[in-house]
Amino acid sequence: MSKTTQAPKALRGVGNFIDDRFHVAKMGEKNLRKVFPNHWSFMLGEIALYSFIILLVTGVFLTLWFKPSMMEVVYDGPYERLNGVVMSEAYASTLHIDFAVRGGFLVRQIHHWAALIFVAALVVHMLRVFFTGAFRKPREINWLIGVSIFVLAMLEGLFGYSLPDDLPSGMGVRILQGVMLALPLVGTYISMFLFGGEFPGEDIITRLYMLHVLAIPALLLGLIVAHFMILWHQKHTQYPGPGRTDKTVVGTPMFPGFAVKAGGFFFFTFAVIAGLSAFVQVNPIHLFGPFTPTSITSGLQPDWYMGFMEGSLRIFPNTLDFQIFGYAVPIGVLVPGLIVPGIIFGGLGAWPFIEQWITGDKRAHNVADRPRNAPVRTGVGVAGITFYGVLWLAGSNDILSETFSINLYLTTYIFRVLAIVGPILAFIITKRICLGLQRRDRETLEHGYESGIIRQLPSGEFIEVHKRNSHETIEVLASKPTITSTALTEEQVDDKGVENPEGRKPKGRLRRALAEWYTKDNVSVEGVRPHSGHHLHHSDEALKEHTSSH
Amino acid sequence: MKWITARRRHPLAGYVVVILALALFGVGYAGLAPTADQAQAQTLAADAPSPEDVDVAEGKTVFDQTCATCHGLDGSGSKVGPDLRDVGPAAIDFQVSTGRMPSMNPDAQMPRKPMVMTEQELVNLIAYYNESIRSGTNGADVPYDVPGGAPGYDDFKPLRSDFAEGEAGSEEYEAALEEAEAEYRTALEEYQDEYDEYIAGADNTDMGMRLYLTNCAHCHGWSGGGGALTDGRWAPEIHESTPREIYEAMVSGPGAMPMFSDGVIDPEEKQELISYVKTLQAEPNAGGIFDLDRVGQVAEGLIGWVVGLALIVACAIWITAKQRAHD
Repeated sequence: MSKTTQAPKALRGVGNFIDDRFHVAKMGEKNLRKVFPNHWSFMLGEIALYSFIILLVTGVFLTLWFKPSMMEVVYDGPYERLNGVVMSEAYASTLHIDFAVRGGFLVRQIHHWAALIFVAALVVHMLRVFFTGAFRKPREINWLIGVSIFVLAMLEGLFGYSLPDDLPSGMGVRILQGVMLALPLVGTYISMFLFGGEFPGEDIITRLYMLHVLAIPALLLGLIVAHFMILWHQKHTQYPGPGRTDKTVVGTPMFPGFAVKAGGFFFFTFAVIAGLSAFVQVNPIHLFGPFTPTSITSGLQPDWYMGFMEGSLRIFPNTLDFQIFGYAVPIGVLVPGLIVPGIIFGGLGAWPFIEQWITGDKRAHNVADRPRNAPVRTGVGVAGITFYGVLWLAGSNDILSETFSINLYLTTYIFRVLAIVGPILAFIITKRICLGLQRRDRETLEHGYESGIIRQLPSGEFIEVHKRNSHETIEVLASKPTITSTALTEEQVDDKGVENPEGRKPKGRLRRALAEWYTKDNVSVEGVRPHSGHHLHHSDEALKEHTSSH
Repeated sequence: MKWITARRRHPLAGYVVVILALALFGVGYAGLAPTADQAQAQTLAADAPSPEDVDVAEGKTVFDQTCATCHGLDGSGSKVGPDLRDVGPAAIDFQVSTGRMPSMNPDAQMPRKPMVMTEQELVNLIAYYNESIRSGTNGADVPYDVPGGAPGYDDFKPLRSDFAEGEAGSEEYEAALEEAEAEYRTALEEYQDEYDEYIAGADNTDMGMRLYLTNCAHCHGWSGGGGALTDGRWAPEIHESTPREIYEAMVSGPGAMPMFSDGVIDPEEKQELISYVKTLQAEPNAGGIFDLDRVGQVAEGLIGWVVGLALIVACAIWITAKQRAHD
């Protein structure tokens, strides 16, 4: 039996031909052996990537028939209920896709479900990166690219949702225009420019179409490729464990292990999306009917990823609006429509740099944090999720009110209070839970784990037998980094007794205060030897000693 | 038992027990809970009831017993019930046939319920109202040419107690039952024809759609699913509403609803509007067997997260899982 199996001659010939010209064998060997750490949460970004691919493919299919025109036509087609109805060509061509193109309805539903899952996967992927601190040096740029992808994906979704020119489309575009108009000075100009005149005009669908199928997808594709190449170059982060350090990666090689998994995962993602599309009706534009500027309906929302904007607009009070020189400044639209998303996305983009400024940590990190080991960051993250979640829920307050028979106005007041109190409570509770988990980790490290076996000692005392941790558990628990900040460790007074000028300025004092807030309360595992705690006397061997000594 | 014993310490056993218990309670409750019978108005007559079919004296009894407490013996109203003299019989028919009147709690908005009286009693009540309470011809008349509810079998079914005891009685009863069933089927067919004719009589979808989406949808929703209103009120869903009830609601403006008299939206336009929403509601779901109650984007978002993304993440967990280390 030969030691190495050789490829068939024909294949070798082709391979050598290519290799002689492009020298791919060396590059291929290096990249195919690249190791990927194994964890389910590292697959979340892939869901987004695969949904994006599905979106591109189905999107191309839809463009073959979709007519981005607002020309008015009288419908005469296979969907009999709307025969004789005046509508835009965009809407009529979408009906055509649904009812006259073979498989068109299914593909449109796949496109829509894939969009919903694309943004959802982006969000959970982003949360994973945030909570494990995977945005830290050297990955800040990739984090910023990710945030840009998130913003662009939302816009892409909003514009796509607006294209069929059905009832909710038009309502969404109307809200978009309202937020634009709220901008002081330039609002009306921007609106007139985008719409080519008054709302709704005759151009908006054509323009949104260009943005939806060309400009934004091109940007998204570029950013996704950059995101992926940077990831490839910098390598993936990994969770702490035996042999896992900032310099060495433990995982599955790209080929064949990881490639097979990733390939299978693509098909599973596609299967779920296609399954939903086959059985669950999504955005039934043929039922909604075409948009006319006089039409309006209750109970319709934007797609979920715009829900927080909707909620922010719904619950923000309008009592702060004022007029200046006869010009209205609608704070009630301006703040929720622009400032709130600005805070959310600005905050996301700025966080790696804020954290770095607070801790002064300039080291490169390739081992991800366990969320509990960075309690303030985790608390801030959960507070952010709570704020976003409250706004998101508020966006569906009419549905909630009707479904659960709650007074509509009451829901508004509840959400107003929750939007402020919720994040604060979430921060405090999350931080407490993290610290509790840290204490338990420390205890497990010191004493081993509870075996669930209760023993009675000859003296009558009951004890629980603790067992030794596995090697891996010790490795993970002992790797807990101590959170420090250079702001606290730097000398405040130099050897000549002169105070550090940086520390006296307001910025320096703020940094010290934040550093204090960021680092205090941590449960340190430094100096803790595994299985050194007194509880271990209750292990089996100790038990024997115990009995014999009596 | 052995099967359970072997598995009761499985890591998932706890979850399985909880899920089974929840399912047991959920299904058990659904089985035991009293079901709210769907309101089934039994209006059949396409024409106004002829004078010989009504009993005004009987109508007075109904009024005195069920309405006068709040609305006063002369219908002029009281602290808890409004004046009825100017509302018109359409309002009476709407409120009583949808079960909203008699109201249990005058301070709360009434939900749709089964009608508390028989069809005949309602006809008598309206006759009494027209004769003794209504001032002149104020208020809208009942639109008898618009189809009401489908006939109910109970109206045709003979009572066993009307027949003699014993075998002979039973045979007679069986025969009567068969006859009633045939009568009921004819009546249902008649009603169906009438309904279809009314709906098909509207041929301008564009007009119906614009009227509905401009005047009705901002409260009742694009498909008539209902919606939340201010101050804790709500616009009811109108799936069960018969064309006649929708018509009556428009001409009488119940509760917070504005009135759309025949001068504002004429009867033909009303027919277009009613036909639009009824056709839309009867529309099958072309996009798949699950329509998510046509709630729209909120439900879609929920399913996208808790079914779509959750399944895919579960798969990610599955393919990256390693053998559990047993120590």
